[in-house]
Amino acid sequence: MTRGAAARAVELTKIYGQGEARVTALAGVTVSFHAGELTAIMGPSGSGKSTLMHCVAGLDTASSGKSWIGDTELSALSDDALTILRRDRVGFVFQAFNLLPTLTAIENIVLPLDLAGRKPDPAHADAIIDAIGLRDRLHHRPGQLSGGQQQRVACARALITKPDVIFADEPTGALDSRSSAELLSLLRRSVDELRQTVVMVTHDPAAAAYADRVLFLADGQIVGELLKPDADSILDRMRDLEHRAVTV
Amino acid sequence: MLRAVLRDMRAHPGRMAMTLVAIVLGVGFVVATWVVSDSAAETVSSGSSRSDVAVQVTGEELTPETVSELRALPGVTKAQGVAFGYSALVGKDGKISGYSFPDMGGTAWDSSERFSLVSGRAPATDKEVALEEASASDAGVGVGESARLLNGDGSSRDATVVGIYTYRRLSVDESTPVAAFDPATAKQTLGEKYSWIELTGTDATAIAKAIAGLGLDAKTGVELKADRERAATSEAEFARNFLLAFAGVALLAGMFVIANTFTMLVAQRSRHFALLRAVGARRGQVRRAIIAEAAVLGLIGSTIGAALGVGLGWLAMTLIRTTGETIVFAVSPLAILIGYLVGVVVTVVAAYGSARRGSAIAPVAALRADASLPRRSIVLRTVAGAIFITGGVAAVIATSGTPLSKMERAVGMGGALIAWLGVLFLAPLLASAFLKPLSKVARSATSRLAVRNAIRDPLRTAATASALMIGLALVTSFATVSSSVEEVMTKTVKNDLPAQTLAVQPVQAWFDLPEAVIERVKGMSPKDSVATPVQGGVRVTLPGHELRGQTWTAVEPAAIGTVLTPPIKEGRWDLKGGFAVSTELADEFGLKVGTQLTLHFEEAAPITAPVTGIYPDSYVMRGVVLNKELLPAGLKGYPLGVFVKGGDQSKLTAALADRPDVVVRDRDGLIAAQTEPIRLALGIISALLGAAVVIAVFGVVNTLALSVLERTREIGVFRAVGATRKLVRSSVRWESIVIASYGGVLGIGVGVLLGAVMQHVILTQPIFSLTVPWLLVGGALAGMVVVGVVAALWPARRAARTDVLAAIATA
Ligand SMILES: Nc1ncnc2c1ncn2[C@@H]1O[C@H](COP(=O)(O)OP(=O)(O)OP(=O)(O)O)[C@@H](O)[C@H]1O
Ligand SMILES: [Mg+2]
Repeated sequence: MTRGAAARAVELTKIYGQGEARVTALAGVTVSFHAGELTAIMGPSGSGKSTLMHCVAGLDTASSGKSWIGDTELSALSDDALTILRRDRVGFVFQAFNLLPTLTAIENIVLPLDLAGRKPDPAHADAIIDAIGLRDRLHHRPGQLSGGQQQRVACARALITKPDVIFADEPTGALDSRSSAELLSLLRRSVDELRQTVVMVTHDPAAAAYADRVLFLADGQIVGELLKPDADSILDRMRDLEHRAVTV
Repeated sequence: MLRAVLRDMRAHPGRMAMTLVAIVLGVGFVVATWVVSDSAAETVSSGSSRSDVAVQVTGEELTPETVSELRALPGVTKAQGVAFGYSALVGKDGKISGYSFPDMGGTAWDSSERFSLVSGRAPATDKEVALEEASASDAGVGVGESARLLNGDGSSRDATVVGIYTYRRLSVDESTPVAAFDPATAKQTLGEKYSWIELTGTDATAIAKAIAGLGLDAKTGVELKADRERAATSEAEFARNFLLAFAGVALLAGMFVIANTFTMLVAQRSRHFALLRAVGARRGQVRRAIIAEAAVLGLIGSTIGAALGVGLGWLAMTLIRTTGETIVFAVSPLAILIGYLVGVVVTVVAAYGSARRGSAIAPVAALRADASLPRRSIVLRTVAGAIFITGGVAAVIATSGTPLSKMERAVGMGGALIAWLGVLFLAPLLASAFLKPLSKVARSATSRLAVRNAIRDPLRTAATASALMIGLALVTSFATVSSSVEEVMTKTVKNDLPAQTLAVQPVQAWFDLPEAVIERVKGMSPKDSVATPVQGGVRVTLPGHELRGQTWTAVEPAAIGTVLTPPIKEGRWDLKGGFAVSTELADEFGLKVGTQLTLHFEEAAPITAPVTGIYPDSYVMRGVVLNKELLPAGLKGYPLGVFVKGGDQSKLTAALADRPDVVVRDRDGLIAAQTEPIRLALGIISALLGAAVVIAVFGVVNTLALSVLERTREIGVFRAVGATRKLVRSSVRWESIVIASYGGVLGIGVGVLLGAVMQHVILTQPIFSLTVPWLLVGGALAGMVVVGVVAALWPARRAARTDVLAAIATA
């Protein structure tokens, strides 16, 4: 591996509940997300994709194992330290309800910097605003934007801090195909042009096809990987996985 | 349907808790008011009052001979003369306590039901005395200790306290004696004239009839008891109405809180209601369900509130037990019933609006992800508010001149209240108008977010702030009136007296100023440096006019301009040449300088002289002022005090150290003594209005807690993108401070303006000659910030604990 890891995890395990209700969401996952790459994570519902992402991103703590953002190990950090790490070094795009409804688009975009008491780098901010193509909508409230536009604003917010890694959990899950395509090409361009690292969970093979690499997850374990994938090969692999899940 | 709603209530007890607090406090206040007034009336008319007297005899000359005469009447088994005389208990500070009436302060001990020993025994020698319980505790003396008693002639004597008693009154206007002596001593010190004679016998009516023939007045025990009960009831009624006014204010604040809570609760469950509608619930059913929920809440709140009220009533009765009577604690079913009625009606009325909106939701809303009620329009409110304010202000302006008739006063005050109502209507609009610019100024991300959240739903913020505003506006307006009155009093006293003038006055305004004191002060001071203004009433006429009874003030002419410096408006101070009259008198009867006035003192020749001066507001002068030498011989009048110019306060005080019934005051001391009762009244009123403010504070807590609940997802995002728990807490805290301060600014603003009109109406001063109570205004604003911080404690903690993952999980 020539490039360094923007984020990685070793033997990550996450167990929910106890006794009867015990669920192993992650069963010892070791993975690394290469800097400057768009990685997609796929897998059946309940396979642990979101859990993996949350643990690596510092939103949740693993039951055992370790994870890193850059070279910061997360399990040692306090809640405040994790929060500041998220603010400065991680970007998020969720499936929906990403934005604070009382803040305008631009205020939402610069929120992480605002929280840190920093000013945005004008050239960088300009580049991002150009990239999301919403210059004339910057002073609108989220309620006045379409779902796709809101997701692009969320994307801009994730980009503004030049984070080590951006995590996106089904960012196109609530969008139509056109808005999806717009958002995905935006993520793609942030990797290509802004040298960002993106990790994206998705159910949609067409979305995964934008990635440099696809990881497949099943029952809390990494069960496969595809490099430079296209939609068809992804679909094949998915069918494979589901078939296996049924026979087990 | 109803069951679904009740189950929903049970599932979210926290949401209801704060609403409950508002109902409980309001109902508690009402029930406590009822309990206190009932108990007070019951105490007076109960067994603790006297039943041992068949007939009370009163008359001009009641002597021991009268007593024996009466004892001889058929049917009379016992006759007891009751003597009163001057006696006052000297407290630890060397002065007479404020509760006594010295002229009737001493009496003779007897075995009647007048006295009920709390501890010790009856006095037996001239070295012993029994004291009334409240006065003794006020003076700080107990059984076995020595007490100093002032006699009518100014001398005082020490006696050992052997007993402490509580006193029972027979007639309504009887005052409570502070000291009881053994009969022999009483005969010496109080004399052998009786205030009344108490008879015991079997047939009261027959005895009373027999007495009427003797030229004496008689009242039977039954009649006296009825009198006492009547007086007690009317007193209790008065107290009840007074307290109910404050309870009403508390309930009004409570209504805002309840209405606001229901609005939020209904909004949060709009999808639930839409679902009910979609599966076939009719509008009326949904509406009735919400109202039923309010009624149930009202019932629960009233139950707790009634219990609280009974407890508060008991506490209040115990605390106000100063008269030494045995308290009867009365809880009437009516009190409880009214508590329930008020609690349920107020809650249902407050919830009605949200019930209508909740039932108006379209069934399809259940299918939408963002099911929400249509936004309430504020257009109607704004228009109503504008009309009310315009009308109210117009009424105030129309009556802003002086002097004012009764009608004009009513119109002015009514206008001010209507304008206030207008402000309540406009509160949502004002909230966005005031707070929008603030959100531009706010620098940090958290404070900006907080302000934005506060104006997100102006109606909600306005309702929360309005509850606070009601109590605050009233407190501020009363404080404005009180500080304006104080200012006027201070100014008047300062006008009337030069700074070097001292005043020797009775300890309490209703005490007499003994002649001996006046003479002693005069003897100590150079001639013409002493003024002893005295006052009384007299019939005044001018040609063709009868001025009826008017007050007169008589003063030494030489003292004016030196010892006393009262201002003059027209003419000049020339008491040797004629009378001076007050501006009010001059205005009312069209008196001018030169008008001839005649004073008709009783049993003296009329005095006629021209008006030589017209004076404005004065502390010393009242009515017609005349040269003291013109007073008919033997007419003493009531002295306001002895005023001495250039004396030394500590020397004078030392010289009068043996007089516990008078004090030496300098000008500032005089002003303080004048303004103290006003401050006391303001303190009581503010305390009573405190209940409304407390309810409103719970309203702020409620609004914040429900808002935080509503914004769980937002807070999750906020946390995910890097807001620490501390920042989340501080953003809720800022929001709370913004809401509370908005209520504070609105309340204080309205209060000062309301107070301006009130002082104009009461003092007939121009509206803007008010004195703003800056200390209170500053304190209240600071207090609102504290309220904001305190109200946010719990909601902010809840917000900070929001689980990021649960919040952002797409449900
Ligand atoms: N808070 C929780 N408590 C208990 N179990 C949980 C919790 N969160 C997730 N799980 C369980 O952990 C497993 C992994 O869940 P996760 O959300 O990571 O799946 P996913 O791959 O993201 O699924 P989807 O594609 O549906 O989003 C599932 O079996 C889920 O039921
Ligand atoms: Mg998931």
